[in-house]
Amino acid sequence: MTRFVVQRLGHGLLVLLLVSVATFGIMQAAPGGPSLLADPKLSIAERAAIESRLGLDQPPVVQYGRWLARAVRGDLGTSFLYQTPTLATIGARVPGTLRLAGAALLLAVAAGVPLGIAGAARPGGLIDRAGTGLSIALMSVPVFWLGIVGILLFAVWLHVLPAGGSASDSGSPGAADALRHLVLPATVLAASLLAELLRYARSSTRAALGQPFVQVLRARGVAPGAVVWRHAARNALITVTSVIGLQLPRLVGGAAITETVFSWPGMGRLGVEAALARDYPLVMGVTMVVAAAVVAASLLVDVAQMFLDPRVRAA
Amino acid sequence: MRPGSILLLLSAFGCGGRSEASTDAGGGTLRIPVINDPILNPVIAPDIGSVMVNKVLFAGLVRPDEHLRPTPDLATSWTTSPDGRTWTFQLRPGVTWHDGAAFGAVDVKFTFDQILDLATGSRLHSDFAAVDGVDVVDSLTVRFRLKAPFAPLLTLLGYNAGILPAHVLQGTRLSDATRFNRAAPIGTGPFKVERVTAGASVTLVRNPTYYGPAPAIARVVFKVVPDLNAQVAQLRAGELDLVTLEPANLGSVRNAPGVRVLQVPVVQHWYVGFNVQLPMFASPLVRRAFVYAVNREAIVKSVLMGYGDAPRGTIPVALGDWYDSTVAPVPYAPDSARLLLARAGWTAGPNGMLQDARGKPFAFELLVDKGNPTREQSALAVQQDLKKVGIDVTLRTMEFAALVRDRVLPGTFEANLIWWTTPGDPDQYAYYATGQDNNNVRWSNATADSLLALGRATLDPDRRRAVYHAFQRLERDDPPVLVLFYPREIQAVSARLSGLPALGIRDALRYAERLRLDQ
Repeated sequence: MTRFVVQRLGHGLLVLLLVSVATFGIMQAAPGGPSLLADPKLSIAERAAIESRLGLDQPPVVQYGRWLARAVRGDLGTSFLYQTPTLATIGARVPGTLRLAGAALLLAVAAGVPLGIAGAARPGGLIDRAGTGLSIALMSVPVFWLGIVGILLFAVWLHVLPAGGSASDSGSPGAADALRHLVLPATVLAASLLAELLRYARSSTRAALGQPFVQVLRARGVAPGAVVWRHAARNALITVTSVIGLQLPRLVGGAAITETVFSWPGMGRLGVEAALARDYPLVMGVTMVVAAAVVAASLLVDVAQMFLDPRVRAA
Repeated sequence: MRPGSILLLLSAFGCGGRSEASTDAGGGTLRIPVINDPILNPVIAPDIGSVMVNKVLFAGLVRPDEHLRPTPDLATSWTTSPDGRTWTFQLRPGVTWHDGAAFGAVDVKFTFDQILDLATGSRLHSDFAAVDGVDVVDSLTVRFRLKAPFAPLLTLLGYNAGILPAHVLQGTRLSDATRFNRAAPIGTGPFKVERVTAGASVTLVRNPTYYGPAPAIARVVFKVVPDLNAQVAQLRAGELDLVTLEPANLGSVRNAPGVRVLQVPVVQHWYVGFNVQLPMFASPLVRRAFVYAVNREAIVKSVLMGYGDAPRGTIPVALGDWYDSTVAPVPYAPDSARLLLARAGWTAGPNGMLQDARGKPFAFELLVDKGNPTREQSALAVQQDLKKVGIDVTLRTMEFAALVRDRVLPGTFEANLIWWTTPGDPDQYAYYATGQDNNNVRWSNATADSLLALGRATLDPDRRRAVYHAFQRLERDDPPVLVLFYPREIQAVSARLSGLPALGIRDALRYAERLRLDQ
């Protein structure tokens, strides 16, 4: 177990190094360059001063070397756009990101998994048809559309929920205020994950229900509910945890559209802003943090599966 | 959880929905969107969002009135030496910084020392390149020494040059003053920073020691709302009070309850720039033909929905009497365009398209930045109009940064659709004089060079006006660019808001103390 974890951590570091090289290379190759320099009004002297201040007058290899030398000491440089330390800039967005991703994950798991399992228990039944319909609808609707419609419906017409932001801007907003701001973005962000989890929970529960051990359980007179929810569902959860593990990075780093539509201060939007502004240190920083999260999530999934599935534990 | 219970959950939190401004102790909260966390330092701020916030936080020596004329702000009066090279400013007594310290001449000198030092990260260096240095005469008097007489100085002092506190920033490189720039700036303006939430908002609160009239509203919140559609939705939901729009967004606010739509001319000219170094664009005849060939009235009507003015030259109508309204506008006349093109050697080939004597077709690529509907539609209109006179234009959209850095600045473009936002002064030396940094189209006209140089150096307003009117007439015969229109800024404001001066939002916000919100 310990050896496995240490080995996986070593792989993880290698992955991070490769990701940093690839990100740096792609950024250098992208057209445009830092938006700080894209102001056509800058004089040649002003432009040169900015380039030398940001170290952009050095060849790319030197720039990467300097970045790496600082990064191994835990310093990810200073954002061009924000002129603040990269790690602190990302850190400021972590609470908002975790709140949104956590709420969306909770919503998706709490709604999607039981619906999928219940659907599998009685294929073609009312719950199954409703659940399948819902998942197809949620998967086919674009996120920004869902977001804008949600804002128009609940904020502009019904005036029951705020149109954006993560807290009210006056007075001292409390927990209820934070929750009200969370409802729409978390629901929108949860939509596609919910649909996906529902489908996976349904199909893997159905697969499990067809296996010999289920027939044995039924033959031994185990109650049908217990067969589905205690025995088949446990097998289905193995697939579901893999899907969650794969989707976690998307929730954390890839919620840019949801965050933009709802003006949510999260990391996804920060990453997109950084990429559009060619804010090299911030792009590198966000990529590394998200990559580290992916590595950590897949490690967690593997460990979780060891507990869920005795076969993996043996291997 | 079933879908039904999600709806239940939604309505459980939906008990509120009231206006969020209701908790202020008198005056209310004005909410304005920015697309990014602003940099709270006027000397190094790189974007319009930061400029807006800084206008409220930092006062300058002067500020423009509704006719864009400089009026006293931190300076109460000024005199100019006979040779125009020394300007002496009397500063307002009794002004204090947001932290209580006294404002004085040392702050002005400090600010301009920073502006003139490129290593600080100054974005205002080229505005004040004519300034040799600033001296403290006494605690409330400063003297600006100029390298040469420079008429735009006053306007520029009221444009972006907010004064910084020497006692806070002395000894720190401005770009490294992270706490000041991001969380705790100190200015002399009518509002001061109360709270900054990264990625979300900057909250300003009334400055009780402001030297002018006491601000009527209690708070100004700049909310980070990066998406324009989301800004409109929040305005309609009553969560924003002042949003500037693109014409394409007008439909969604025109009949919205509680929203008023205002328009103000701004100091911008939008144009198609042709790389004059290329032989096909070298002749003034060709550029004059473009002006006749493109139906600019139609672009104002259809693309800008009427929120703009058809142009007469590069000096926009917002500049008041610097703009010569007696110059006859060039009409839409495709026949005249064809005639001029024929005189320049372009004749119709077998397929009706123009070609030169050797049969080479008149074709070029027009660059426009991606994602802005106003510019993309304008480019399309230019393409179609030029096709009618036999010119084959290929449109190419690029990201703005790539367009500027990879094509416009190195001069590796044929034509591009872009715009200039300029201070409220007619000086266009940097844009259209030979060899200047901002003269991206590489236009060169000896008479224009001397007019633009003379306009800069002439302090007498009447004589100066004559110079710029002459420049405008010259532009009819040798257009440096194809000016498409002067846009008007479309401001969608909450019906509760009053007291907004008829200025573009960046200048209007310097009057934040006059704004009022009905409760």
